[in-house]
Amino acid sequence: MSKKEEKGLFSSLWGSLSSLRLTIALLIILAVASIFGTVIPQNASPEEYLRAYKLSTYKILKILGFLDMYHAGWFVFLLALLSLNLVACSLKRFRITLRFFYPGAHLEEDQWKAMPLNKKFSQKGFPAEGLPQYREALSLVFSKPKVLEGPRAYHLFAEKGKFSRLGVYFIHLSILVILGGALIGSFFGFRGHVNIVEGEAADRVILRSAGQIQPLGFGLKLEKFSVSFYPSGAPKEFKSTLTILEGERQVLTEPIRVNHPLTYKGITFYQSSYGIAGIEKAILAIKDRESPRELIVSAQMDRRTEIPGTSSSFLLAEFIPDFQGMGPAFQVIFFEPSRPHENFWVFQHHPEIDQKRPDRYQFTIKEFEPRYYSGLQVTKDPGVWVVWVGCFLMMAGFYMAFFMSHRRVWVKLTEKGAGTLVEIAGSSHRDRLGFEKEFEKIEQALKGNSSKARKPTTESGAKND
Amino acid sequence: MISAKMISSVTFLYLFCTVLYFNYLAFRSNRLGKIATGMAWLTLLIHTAAILLRWVESYQLGIGHAPLSNMYESLVFFSWCIALLYLLWEWRLKSSVVGAFAMPFAFLFIAYASLAPGVSDRIDPLIPALQSNWLHAHVITCFLSYASFALSCGVSIMYLMKLRYQEKGEKESGFWALFPSLDALDDLVYKTIVVGFPLLAIGIVTGAAWANYAWGSYWSWDPKETWSLITWFVYAIFIHARFVGEWRGKRTAILSIVGFIAVIFTYFGVNYVLSGLHSYA
Repeated sequence: MSKKEEKGLFSSLWGSLSSLRLTIALLIILAVASIFGTVIPQNASPEEYLRAYKLSTYKILKILGFLDMYHAGWFVFLLALLSLNLVACSLKRFRITLRFFYPGAHLEEDQWKAMPLNKKFSQKGFPAEGLPQYREALSLVFSKPKVLEGPRAYHLFAEKGKFSRLGVYFIHLSILVILGGALIGSFFGFRGHVNIVEGEAADRVILRSAGQIQPLGFGLKLEKFSVSFYPSGAPKEFKSTLTILEGERQVLTEPIRVNHPLTYKGITFYQSSYGIAGIEKAILAIKDRESPRELIVSAQMDRRTEIPGTSSSFLLAEFIPDFQGMGPAFQVIFFEPSRPHENFWVFQHHPEIDQKRPDRYQFTIKEFEPRYYSGLQVTKDPGVWVVWVGCFLMMAGFYMAFFMSHRRVWVKLTEKGAGTLVEIAGSSHRDRLGFEKEFEKIEQALKGNSSKARKPTTESGAKND
Repeated sequence: MISAKMISSVTFLYLFCTVLYFNYLAFRSNRLGKIATGMAWLTLLIHTAAILLRWVESYQLGIGHAPLSNMYESLVFFSWCIALLYLLWEWRLKSSVVGAFAMPFAFLFIAYASLAPGVSDRIDPLIPALQSNWLHAHVITCFLSYASFALSCGVSIMYLMKLRYQEKGEKESGFWALFPSLDALDDLVYKTIVVGFPLLAIGIVTGAAWANYAWGSYWSWDPKETWSLITWFVYAIFIHARFVGEWRGKRTAILSIVGFIAVIFTYFGVNYVLSGLHSYA
């Protein structure tokens, strides 16, 4: 009794696991959940969330996993359940599909009647005599038939595009392969980020997920970073020239750009961001109000620079790439003997600001050479090839499932008087219209038995005579 | 730019085609049907020339790239895909009845390109992320699939209209007599989806391949990616419901319309409502 119950439970579990209802329910739930995932910002900082939501809402969303939804336990569980459902449905269906791969040439009477296309006509000559010609005709216009000699009849069966039936399994398998590839990537791969200043090297990156450190196993030096712009101001190219270092040895030097990453030992480096880390040197023009001369001075950060021909000096203390939307600015500290030092900002794009300062010397920034840092996205994903194989499988599956059709033709030859009763039936699981035309051709070929299709055999027959 | 002017006039031609196709339904004259078809092919031809000209113009500006890189260009291309796919179906089915429900889509999207504020027809140089050969494969497959879904939506609307009319129990006459049978419409709803579904899959895959080159991740659940997946799910439900669940007619027609709403949201909604990596188009 209990065993029977267990069996009942198992089969009902299998029943629901392999049901289309579950598939559709899961697809709807995943779709709706994904909508939430696109509306609620994912993986933002607590401050950002608290700006958008009340504290209580934030807490509930956090507990339910809606803030990193696509990696939340329940979302992964739904994906796993969908995979199981996919496997169960495919297995259940495959048993039926398998039958198409072991077809019998013989068709029962009721099956015959159920075929979408049916034709019947009489031909001269006994079935046994005509058989080679019918077979030939079918091979010529359709495909080579299998022949079964029945008790009172001959059965011919021919088919095309049988692999089309497997398309759906290719597609289902491809989804599992893609998910498998994603799993491999998440277990054996990593995604991280590193900022490297020009001329410096790094041998570790910060991981995206938990901010952990991941050693690379080799060194990576940023030789140079450059950025270029279109006349409109839109960026044209970001380029980092990288050198791979194994200890002290330089293995290779290669530039990377957006869309052109560099892969070394399975780790790929992508150009992702950039910024100014410091200033190599700045060229300043210093104007003396008390004389018409203008001095051009080259200065480095944090180093006192003499103003030639005077006893004064200055120091560039700080640089801000964009000072409150007014562009690049330097903080200048100005020293004059026997006076307290002065402290002011000089803007590259707004020289008029410094002109208003009442002091003797006025500063203008001519140009400066920034020292860039480059932000690199660093990824290791050994599963990515599995994903591409999955995608390829899916394309093959689509072609098979939607653009090929399994077409089958049965021919039955029975003796009728001194002639043959020819019965043909056909079915196609897709593209009925196209198949109707083909069926017509088959019928004509079988009827034209004595004329067109027969020719090759009559000739060989004549030779034998 | 001459191409932008041409595209504005193509917009009016699509409106004219729409009117012609409706006239054909209203007056049921085969000659009107032929005129509508001829006009539609001519419009498509001018439309094609305008796109090619824009391509040439971008080279003349020294920033040559295929005209598939921003909202304006994608809308113009989307409209082109709809007109092309529709005319191919018309040629295959040898019936111009569906035109009245397909041409409005081609018209609306190209009109939006020309008229909507915030959609600029300027030819801009490609920013670094867009400088990739994947751009073409990705955009072309996506918009062909969207166009196929647009047709499916149009045919679904025809189906629901005809069904409603038939349910009233009135004798078929006039306008409705020309409509294909419910079965034929249902079949067309399905066939257009069967074309769009694999194309959308290829669009998603080429997008993933591109993202892998540009950002180092083939899938990052960015809103555009996620919405394209949601759309794909809706059509996956359609195909399974029809194949295995043997849903037909009204329910699948509604699903097809829901699917196209998802397409529209993937295309516009994500850009205007949500933010993400796909800010260009």
